[in-house]
Amino acid sequence: MNRSGAKIVMEALVREGVDTIFGYPGGVVLPLYDEMLNWPQVRHVLVRHEQCAAHMADGYARATGNVGVCLATSGPGATNLVTGIATAIMDGIPMVAITGNVNSWAIGKDAFQETDIQGITIPITKHNYLVTNIDELPQVLAEAFYLANTGRKGPVLVDIPKDVFTATTSAPFPTTISRRGYTVPGAPPKDQIEEAVRLIKGAKRPVMIAGAGVLHSGAMEELRYFAETTKIPVINSLLGLGSIPRDHELSLGMMGMHGEATGTLAVQEADLVLGIGIRFDDRLTGNTSGFAPKAKIVHFDLDPSEIGKTVTPVAWVVGDLKASLSAVNKLIEPQDRPEWLAQIKKWQSAYPLIVPQGRFLSRTVLKALNDHTKGEAIVATDVGQHQMWTAQFYRMKKPLSFLSSGGLGTMGYGFPAAMGAKFARPDEEVWAVVGDGGFQMTLQELQTAVEYNCNVKICLLNNGFLGMVRQWQELFYDNRHSHVAMGSPDFGKLADAYGVQFYRCSRMEDIADTLKGASEHDGPVLCEFVVEMEENVFPMVGPGASNSALVMDPDLEPSEAAHKAGAFETTHAGALHV
Amino acid sequence: MSTHQHTITALVQNEAGTINRLVSLFRRRGFSLASFNAGDCEDPGYSRLTFIVNGDDAVVSQCLKQLNKLIDVIECEDLEPEHSVQRELALIRVEPTSEQRAAVHGIVSEFMARTPRTTATTIVVEQVSDVASLERLIAALMPYNVTEIVRTGTVAIKV
Ligand SMILES: Cc1ncc(C[n+]2csc(CCOP(=O)(O)OP(=O)(O)O)c2C)c(N)n1
Ligand SMILES: [Mg+2]
Repeated sequence: MNRSGAKIVMEALVREGVDTIFGYPGGVVLPLYDEMLNWPQVRHVLVRHEQCAAHMADGYARATGNVGVCLATSGPGATNLVTGIATAIMDGIPMVAITGNVNSWAIGKDAFQETDIQGITIPITKHNYLVTNIDELPQVLAEAFYLANTGRKGPVLVDIPKDVFTATTSAPFPTTISRRGYTVPGAPPKDQIEEAVRLIKGAKRPVMIAGAGVLHSGAMEELRYFAETTKIPVINSLLGLGSIPRDHELSLGMMGMHGEATGTLAVQEADLVLGIGIRFDDRLTGNTSGFAPKAKIVHFDLDPSEIGKTVTPVAWVVGDLKASLSAVNKLIEPQDRPEWLAQIKKWQSAYPLIVPQGRFLSRTVLKALNDHTKGEAIVATDVGQHQMWTAQFYRMKKPLSFLSSGGLGTMGYGFPAAMGAKFARPDEEVWAVVGDGGFQMTLQELQTAVEYNCNVKICLLNNGFLGMVRQWQELFYDNRHSHVAMGSPDFGKLADAYGVQFYRCSRMEDIADTLKGASEHDGPVLCEFVVEMEENVFPMVGPGASNSALVMDPDLEPSEAAHKAGAFETTHAGALHV
Repeated sequence: MSTHQHTITALVQNEAGTINRLVSLFRRRGFSLASFNAGDCEDPGYSRLTFIVNGDDAVVSQCLKQLNKLIDVIECEDLEPEHSVQRELALIRVEPTSEQRAAVHGIVSEFMARTPRTTATTIVVEQVSDVASLERLIAALMPYNVTEIVRTGTVAIKV
């Protein structure tokens, strides 16, 4: 049956089970926006800036594991998506971005609002298309969803000229997709599994670092069984948080630049490090020459290009993680390692995360947020100090409930990502934890939240600074503050102007009630916590330093226990050198 | 592991943006590309490319893996010199004085090159060979007023 390109796009969305898309109209996508009116089963969320359409699609994808879809017009609409697409590729988020372009005959002639979005997004997409032939549109759209959500996931952009939206074709959607040269990784080779198992069986002080790959392949059950059977403690990368419940006895939380000391120390002392769905990126490894100096590294990942990219493993298992871990699970036997686990317990008690009492700190608020939500909410963070503290203090019970821009570190991500998550999972409580800096990058979406009654709760930690940058200036630039003091509008008046429920909290005794009030209100809520201005994130591994040069919180009393925990010369903040 | 030249060939599905995507990968990831060549091949709709890449084994292995990740790339391979034929074509325009012409023709026949076009003032020399002997030919012609050189970059085929 002949139908238009615009109709084909809507058909594709329905075929792929997409119930919500995030977009913004303009000249060349008018035919699609007109067609949309005939498809009530697909909700279109009208954002206030296309960057946020991409972040919402990202939040939707991270909270569900399904492809998030964003839509923009040509030229500035398309370029506004770029930050959101780059955020998604770094973290392997399945996304389809649809852009309109000028009429196909006008391409290359600098027509009004023409931009080469295909060329611009080549380095930040898994793949992209410019569709100039209507007959190819059904195939391309089906392929785009398939590529976005298989193998190593990522954003795929489809650029569609205006005349292709209006042209018609009877070309059907493909029933199956296969692309020569593209294979979806399945079970790993048997010999790789056997070698990994041999190393696991022989290890005395093993740890595993579980990353986002575990969440992407849905291997949480397999990971947990593996950990519980072998008694191997599970450390997480930032994006791996949630792959094991944070209160599980084998969960050590995040490691790395601002990770918990225990995980970082355990890796430095381990004789075997299993990297499971992680990229061994620099925020996690510190200087790679000093990373895990006593350990053999075994890398589990589905992407062969990750093997040996930054660290040199002795063995690897390349394949889908769910398949890999279940294959490993078939060959392992119950093990116990009381000494190693006791050593880890010692570190945990010697170097806990601390919240100094009697002060109104970001940590005080985030600890309270954890107690308030009991780790059951979906939490999206922005980027900065508050992001690291959330990673440290939020003890999520469930997977797909911690959303953060890890790879790109995109300020402005948190609030729209939380909205995307809330649109996808309306029955969950969703919190955005944001700083005063990042929130000011995307707060125009308050209007979108109000219009759609997108019931997200915003925990704004207002420290009056670009806190993370101020911390680096304090530690590495003689505390010379250069353009880090950040003014803000009166957030109460702002919320009022948007019609958003607002609470300002600046007293310790009001924190719990503020959070409770926010949860009870039916609709978006902005909670501003006016916290101490100069609080630093610890532990810290300085940029470029080895993870052994871990600097502990200066407020942490060097206790008897710390001495007994042994093995480590821990330094205090003043001693950070890079 | 020493840095040396590797010859990588890739079979790619040729769509809008394919070459751009391939070359962008080399630039973005800092792989050092000495030359590349693209052309039609035995499969309609596909192209085969030859890249000459400088780097140690680890760099080249990462380069192959990254190439393989591109959706357009069907397969790619690092060719061993012993198990491949590698050739480059060069066109060299020489504008010798009339006294030098005989010497130029002498060099051409010594290297078994060809001269597809000559005019009263110009000799176009054509050579297909491995890179080393091509470079010797160019060096030999240099004293005779070489005014333009065009080279295809290496093309290679597995044996
Ligand atoms: C778009 C963008 N610009 C700049 C940065 C660099 N940067 C990282 S953290 C940070 C400060 C964030 O300040 P704020 O949002 O107030 O959070 P805080 O660190 O105070 O918790 C900056 C500027 C970034 N990550 N993203
Ligand atoms: Mg701040």
